[in-house]
Amino acid sequence: MKEKKFFNRSLFLLFVGFLVIIVMGCQSSESTNPESGENDPETDSSEPTDISISMRTLAFTHVENHPNINEDEYVNKLEEMTNVDLDITLVPHNEFEQKMDLMFASGDIPDVVSTSGAYGGGSTLRDAVRAGVFLPLGDLLKEHAPNLMEQVPESVWESVTFEDGKIYAIPEFLGNPSRRATIVRADLLEEAGIPVPKTPEEAWTVEETLDVLRKFKEMGVKEPYIGRAEFKYADTFFGSYDVFPYESQLEVVDGKIQPKFFDVENMTKALTTYKTMYEEGLIHSEFLTHEYNDYKNAGLSGNGGMWTMNANELLQWEAQIKESVPEADIEIIPSPRGPDGSGGHYLYGDVQRSFMINKDAEDKVVEIIKFLDWMLTEEAETYFSYGIEGEDYTLDGDQVNYNQPSTNEEINIERYRTGWLWMVKDTTYYANLLELSEEGKDLMNTYDTILAEEGRDGIRFNTAIEALDSTPQLQASSDKPAPFLLEKMAKIVTGEESVDTWAQVIEDWKQRGGDKYLEEIQERYDSGEFLESRR
Amino acid sequence: MSKVLANESSAKLNVKSKQRTVWSHIKKFKALYVMSLPGIFYFIIFKYVPMLGSIIAFKDYNIFLGFLGSTWVGFEHFITMFNNPDIFQIIKNTFIISFYDILFNFPAPIILALLLNEIRVVYFKRVIQTIVYMPHFLSWVIISGLFITILSPSTGIVNTLIEALGFDSVYFFGSEAFTRPILITSGMWQSIGWGTIIYLAALSGINPELYEAAKVDGANRWQQTVSITLPSLLPTITILFLLQIGQFMDFGFERIYTFLNPLNSGTGHIIDTYVYEIGLLNAQYSLTTAMGLFKSLIGLFLIMIANFLSKKATGNSLY
Repeated sequence: MKEKKFFNRSLFLLFVGFLVIIVMGCQSSESTNPESGENDPETDSSEPTDISISMRTLAFTHVENHPNINEDEYVNKLEEMTNVDLDITLVPHNEFEQKMDLMFASGDIPDVVSTSGAYGGGSTLRDAVRAGVFLPLGDLLKEHAPNLMEQVPESVWESVTFEDGKIYAIPEFLGNPSRRATIVRADLLEEAGIPVPKTPEEAWTVEETLDVLRKFKEMGVKEPYIGRAEFKYADTFFGSYDVFPYESQLEVVDGKIQPKFFDVENMTKALTTYKTMYEEGLIHSEFLTHEYNDYKNAGLSGNGGMWTMNANELLQWEAQIKESVPEADIEIIPSPRGPDGSGGHYLYGDVQRSFMINKDAEDKVVEIIKFLDWMLTEEAETYFSYGIEGEDYTLDGDQVNYNQPSTNEEINIERYRTGWLWMVKDTTYYANLLELSEEGKDLMNTYDTILAEEGRDGIRFNTAIEALDSTPQLQASSDKPAPFLLEKMAKIVTGEESVDTWAQVIEDWKQRGGDKYLEEIQERYDSGEFLESRR
Repeated sequence: MSKVLANESSAKLNVKSKQRTVWSHIKKFKALYVMSLPGIFYFIIFKYVPMLGSIIAFKDYNIFLGFLGSTWVGFEHFITMFNNPDIFQIIKNTFIISFYDILFNFPAPIILALLLNEIRVVYFKRVIQTIVYMPHFLSWVIISGLFITILSPSTGIVNTLIEALGFDSVYFFGSEAFTRPILITSGMWQSIGWGTIIYLAALSGINPELYEAAKVDGANRWQQTVSITLPSLLPTITILFLLQIGQFMDFGFERIYTFLNPLNSGTGHIIDTYVYEIGLLNAQYSLTTAMGLFKSLIGLFLIMIANFLSKKATGNSLY
């Protein structure tokens, strides 16, 4: 049976051949890696520390369009100033949660993982912390992070305290959680002879606001109020009536904790407002299918009269809108007030994003903490606010001569440097930059007089509620209604269903699994495991 | 291929034991067998091994424990699935959309191929063919963008036409009634040209003598088509139809999801989009694997029935 032997051998050889090819394939990709690293951190103590980090792009244009963010000059300068060697992995903004899951599933987790909110990013992060993937940081922070301990407010530390009482995340925090503002084209108001409201006392009621929008419509403004799919950044009037159907919007009624959208009377009023706007053409007839770009274009091209956006972007938008409509003047006004005399948008969590450290990076945890702690020093503040000396600004004694960004590209770079690359800070506003101009000082003033006086909050929970995990149709997010409710809301606004059906919608919501949710929040509320409403 | 060879050799070596036959014939055609090895490995490594992951449908999968370490929960996820009030609407949508797709989009390329076949000016035929198969290379994101623009009530060309004719404009993407027609039409636009290629190839393989003989007998073009072209295409049509049935439940996630918005999703959500929402957006891997398995079972069942029927009726079958 020589032939058989030969055959077996050739089969065997072939198999070995396959193995060799596979092994070589793997090796060659591995062996090229150390070369690109170049530096060996163990040979010299002054060598930079290698830190790999995954960061959500947060839809920053400069970040998303950059061919290689690790080669960006501001990243290089940051590395030089802090003696680290960063290896940034970008996580796409929209698919953040899925990509995080993939990352965990593959087991290939960078030294530092940036998250959304405190322990946000789906249930995976919660499971990861429970499984011990990240290092508890409490004692290390006390020892190595004087700036963090001093500048991060106590309430923020509470928000990043996990269910086991330990802190796993270093927070980028928000001093003033009222972040979204109602914006109006002040030049159009002037043309119409309507005074711009400046203080909370002068705020318009919903009806007055509608009249202003009607006036805009008469004047030929295409989108008096700029709407957007899912009511995202188009939810001002839900705020007026205090019925945001969002995750954080829970209240206690008759001793029972329940979502604010259970308030049938006010929800009906809010929906009626949108219905009126839809019928009278005060909002784009297709706003329910408009995405971010449609919304932004409407604002920047001068087609919009009033809209909602993050207050800290006001000056950048103003600069951009002036390119197409030179006479445009946009201002923050107090949000329309509802029957209780208050209004505003939903309050953000105190934590914008946070940085968690992989347990495998234990040997350099101190360096990582020091690097993040450095972000709160004066040196860091100057660098991130003004950029690179000699290039973005010059010093004239103590006077800073900052080259104000003028083109879109420059504005995007400023946004990226302050909003994205500056990892840990109070993100309310960038005082250093705002102080440079009169508009900036006005804006800071607006934060304190208008925004600090408005906004809606509810009872919140530190870690996400689990009851609706298998019924995503019923699950709301931080600023999006549950798809099931959204569908009903959309149909009511477009007139396909009657506005009087809301009580029935709530019943349906409960029957489809919402009652499990009510049970869980009641249980957690009774056990005292919640964060109080801030306003 | 191996089956054919096995048949031939067993016919030659009719007396010897079965095992012996198999071995001797492998020896005889060893080059062919070695050549088939990469393919077999491919299927084992990339198709069969990943299938083992399906066991997480019966487990409470936790990323950090891995799919072997997670705890068994039996049929719990299947029960959760059927307790979801949306599931029957979704299964219904899946069936209806797939059914419409087969009803309208399966015959479309055949008809187009027959029509193209009647064109005698070769140059014109080529141009048409190229134009109609181009959309195949566009992604669904682009196609949905095109459709949203074309059908927009305020700026779309379709509504401009409707208004010019004196009717009210229609918000196609704002109504559940239009979801399925839009999905089917866009699918037809995208795939019709690509689908014709295989039929045109089959058409060019028909013996021209048959047509000449028919002409001599006095058959006109229609009679030629009915009596010669269609019967010659029938084997191709049956096989493609069976393949299509196999993908009955695989309508495709992207093809639907890019067209949905809160206003029209009621009639548009199918199992694939639902799996995406629960599984990927909510990290419910076990539950979605259960749904995926359920979907695959239906698909397998359908293809077995179709294959059986086709074998009985036409003699053509996949296996």
